[in-house]
Amino acid sequence: MSRRAFAVVSGVALLAACYHPRDTIPAVPVAALPGHAALTVDTSPKSDLRMVPTEAYVRTYLALFGGLAPLELQKRARGADGAQLFDTWGDYLATLGLPDYKTDLPRARETNALMLATFERLGAALCDRAVEHDLRGSKPRVVFDFDAPKELDVTAFTPRFDVLHRTFLGYPEKLAPGRAARFFDLYAKTLTRHAGDAGKTGKDKPKLAPNEAAWAVVCEGLVRHPEFHLY
Amino acid sequence: MDVLRLEVGPALQFRPPSTSLRRVTILGPDGKSLYVYYRPNQRRIREATDGEFCLTKAETGLSFPPNKPHVGSAIAVKQEALDAATVQIKPWWLYRDYRSAAPVLRYGEAWKTPDVGYQPIDELLLEADEHTPTVAVRVCKEEAQGAESGTVYATGRKPSKGPPPFDRLRPLPLDDVYAKANAGKPIACRAGAAVSLSVDCGCGVGLERCYPGEGFKRDGKAFVMPSKTPLGVDLPFDQAEQSPSDWMKLWWTQEAVRFLGKVFRENRDFREVLTARWSTVNGPLAQFYRSNAAANSGKTKAFGLVDDGEPLFDPGAVPVGLLPHDVGTWETVADRGPHAAGILTMPAFLTKYASRRARGAALYASFLCKGFVAGDVMLMPSTEPNLMKRPGCATCHATLEPLAAYFSRVVETDWRWLPEGPMPTLDPRCKLDASGKAPGFCRDYYDPAFSSKTEGMLRGAYASPAHAAGGPVLAGAELAASPELGTCVVERVAAGFLGRALDPDDATLVTSLRAAFVDGGYKIKPLVRSLLRSPQYRSANNLASKGTP
Repeated sequence: MSRRAFAVVSGVALLAACYHPRDTIPAVPVAALPGHAALTVDTSPKSDLRMVPTEAYVRTYLALFGGLAPLELQKRARGADGAQLFDTWGDYLATLGLPDYKTDLPRARETNALMLATFERLGAALCDRAVEHDLRGSKPRVVFDFDAPKELDVTAFTPRFDVLHRTFLGYPEKLAPGRAARFFDLYAKTLTRHAGDAGKTGKDKPKLAPNEAAWAVVCEGLVRHPEFHLY
Repeated sequence: MDVLRLEVGPALQFRPPSTSLRRVTILGPDGKSLYVYYRPNQRRIREATDGEFCLTKAETGLSFPPNKPHVGSAIAVKQEALDAATVQIKPWWLYRDYRSAAPVLRYGEAWKTPDVGYQPIDELLLEADEHTPTVAVRVCKEEAQGAESGTVYATGRKPSKGPPPFDRLRPLPLDDVYAKANAGKPIACRAGAAVSLSVDCGCGVGLERCYPGEGFKRDGKAFVMPSKTPLGVDLPFDQAEQSPSDWMKLWWTQEAVRFLGKVFRENRDFREVLTARWSTVNGPLAQFYRSNAAANSGKTKAFGLVDDGEPLFDPGAVPVGLLPHDVGTWETVADRGPHAAGILTMPAFLTKYASRRARGAALYASFLCKGFVAGDVMLMPSTEPNLMKRPGCATCHATLEPLAAYFSRVVETDWRWLPEGPMPTLDPRCKLDASGKAPGFCRDYYDPAFSSKTEGMLRGAYASPAHAAGGPVLAGAELAASPELGTCVVERVAAGFLGRALDPDDATLVTSLRAAFVDGGYKIKPLVRSLLRSPQYRSANNLASKGTP
């Protein structure tokens, strides 16, 4: 074979090697595919979780605050602290996802971090004010419908926790095994952390006593609980 | 409400000159500050004050430019001048029994239990010294008149050169075409044009046809009222001092809210939302429909129409016993009149969607769940005025223009019906001249683009004269008969309950719900019952509590 003929043959062979005929797969019924014979088409809705209207949440907070009207709740939540715990409803309505028909601001269809943060702020205000109101002798008690001795063990803690559990989550704590113990741990650690506050005076004196702070934290744990938002 | 969003934004202000009382401060005969209420443009027999404040600059030392603070140095007005031009009235905003000959039930005193939602601002309750309770307001005599009708006033005055006489800010008012043609003829004092056409039309008994304001501006504050109401007007999230315009816009919205609430609460046929002649009103709405709904009627007087002719809400149907202060008392009006059609003829809808096209598009989107999507057509320069034909526009406007035509006879940004009699669809008075122009008075209501050398075409009617003639009543009837209405309502209600948008996988659910809704007489309860029993609703929120702390 001449050098020229070799070059031609090599070129053709190279071209042939680079060329692949187009892959074709003959159409067959789905049922003929391996493993598909018994399958049916899934036409069920692939839905997202339902988002409860913000109005329902807000009405829940109004009820938890003792059935207050929104403006009364605002006054109660602000207390003597100004805007430290709660500003005004006007600052929160948009972040809560409520629509503003005047300006055509639509209703938020999904939760977002700001919305959750706002609910947490509302919950924190609720718990702190409820501690100040309920655990210092004012009647009727709204959230903490029990006495709160300065020292509690888990046995004494549990029935009191059950009151809060039923209020915020809607069912007895014993149906959530282990939850009372975990929240007692939170209570006890908070109590320990605030133990040094007892002797402070003047501007250093905290607004809540150690046991009040501990109950407020338990309350905030429940008001932030995922089940509270689904309940 | 999420769909229609029937709250009117700040862009629209309801403050017609005929219903807006301004309050100015002068020096009384004793040298102390004194409030006097008046309406700018009020016609007066006395030439020096005709169309202006009822006391001259020579008498008060002051001039009162519209919507601006007074100018000049105040002097104590003489008692004779004050008594000649003004009178003291016990007005509706202060007295529960303002309609009686000698009202005694003053707000906060003898009238001890006013509706909790009715609260005039402090500035309306106190005299100019800011501590003496106001027991009566001083108002210009013409404004204080209580008659229901007056006569058209014409002076025969000719235009004059030089500065305005009597130290006036503006020249003396002249007779317009209507005044010249109708001098001495009767005019309804509730008509907006009456203030500038008559010297014997005032604000009515107890000034009921007018709204107060705390200052010289047309939109002065008057009432403390809810400003944020996501849970309803009874549970406000904020309250603020606001103007009568905001006051009325709140109640327009509440009329729609109450109406929709009644349809759902009483399990009525949903189609009534589009067709009902009934509605519900409270005190402020009764005052509005009785006395003030025709306040914007000035522009149609060139057509001989100075009041609301054939109103969308017949003033005669308004409950007589409802007073402006009865904000919490709602009464059903069984029949608003022949032009009424559910929410389509309520001020909340007609001002939220102010133009004909906006109204048509709102119906299309809200009740048929359809939207307008432009076709893939290049927009070429065109002189074609018919948007149903113009390339690039026709894909949407072929549908939209006939929908908009339903509202050709409802004034834009208003709630007045233009009757066929004085304003026919084709009006020879509005024909085009040799240069292709229509008379000036026609331009607001007749469209030169669709007019001819023989007659003018009512704006918006070109797409469908039949729709224009039928108006919102026909729109409501045709929407109610549309098979798409049932599907649309079902989709909206289901999406609301499921908390998510529906998708093609929900087709079976929609079909079954639609059957329940339509077969149930378009009532909401069978629909909701069927929805709550559906597996889609029951599994919409099926998170287990496992794993949560």
